[in-house]
Amino acid sequence: MGDTEKIETVTGRSARGSSRRKPKNSQLPYAIVLIALVGALSWFLDQRDNGTFWLLLTGLAFGYILQRSRFCFTASMRDPYLTGSTTVTRAVLVAFAITTIGFTAIKYGYFINGLPIPGMSYVVPISFATIAGAILFGIGMVIAGGCASGTLMRFGEGFQMQFLSLIFFIIGSLWGAHDFGWWKYHFISKGKSIFLPDYFGWLGAVVLQLFIIFLLYIAAEKYQEVKSNH
Amino acid sequence: MKEVILDCFGEACPIPLVKAQNKIKELEIGDILIVQIDHSCAMKNVPDWAREDGHNVEVEEIDDGEWEVIIEKVK
Repeated sequence: MGDTEKIETVTGRSARGSSRRKPKNSQLPYAIVLIALVGALSWFLDQRDNGTFWLLLTGLAFGYILQRSRFCFTASMRDPYLTGSTTVTRAVLVAFAITTIGFTAIKYGYFINGLPIPGMSYVVPISFATIAGAILFGIGMVIAGGCASGTLMRFGEGFQMQFLSLIFFIIGSLWGAHDFGWWKYHFISKGKSIFLPDYFGWLGAVVLQLFIIFLLYIAAEKYQEVKSNH
Repeated sequence: MKEVILDCFGEACPIPLVKAQNKIKELEIGDILIVQIDHSCAMKNVPDWAREDGHNVEVEEIDDGEWEVIIEKVK
């Protein structure tokens, strides 16, 4: 209530917008009910499969941060071209740097204990298929208004067009999964899979990757400077 | 000095941004462009672009998940 008044007096010209503003109901009861439901669901799932609770919690935390921060992988790749702003791009690079350290720490932890390194199935061959796929994905995500996480987040937010994106995102994923074997056999497996620690050692791999991210960060900053002076 | 309203409700990012960029070119200095959006992503990149471009910008939440970005063209 106090907020409304403040905005009106400060700006003066916003009166038109503010007059259309509906009185806001507190959403707190919904939030409490939702949290209770999620709690019950996670308890129920955890009974059947141990650890599901933590997966759900991580997912929720990720979604919450994604929504509140307006973090958007699509924007990070699109806005430099569209607006010349690389703030989101740099935020993604910072996230990459942090995950580089985190993932390496987890993998190294398993490695020195002589355990199989987790997540090695994601070390997949790189080839021209990677580039072709990246371009297709890039075109698709700009048209759909979000990548995978962005689409899910905005669907949760209640943006109706993204509902359509979600349906076709599911259809596309299923179709992709259906034909993946063929693509893998004919194209993807022709490439070479590279796990950086095998080539540069664990420390070398982290330093190299962080250095590349750092260079990209500098490049992004310079790009914005050039664009805004233009 | 005129006030132009750009209705971008239901349009996903980056459409509101591109529309706003095109519209502001048609306006004179001192005119006000009001971009109505309900896509949270556009709530970030429209004001960012306008500020970067040197205009006066204000964002107002007119309803839950609906915003008006008020841009005063200054150059």
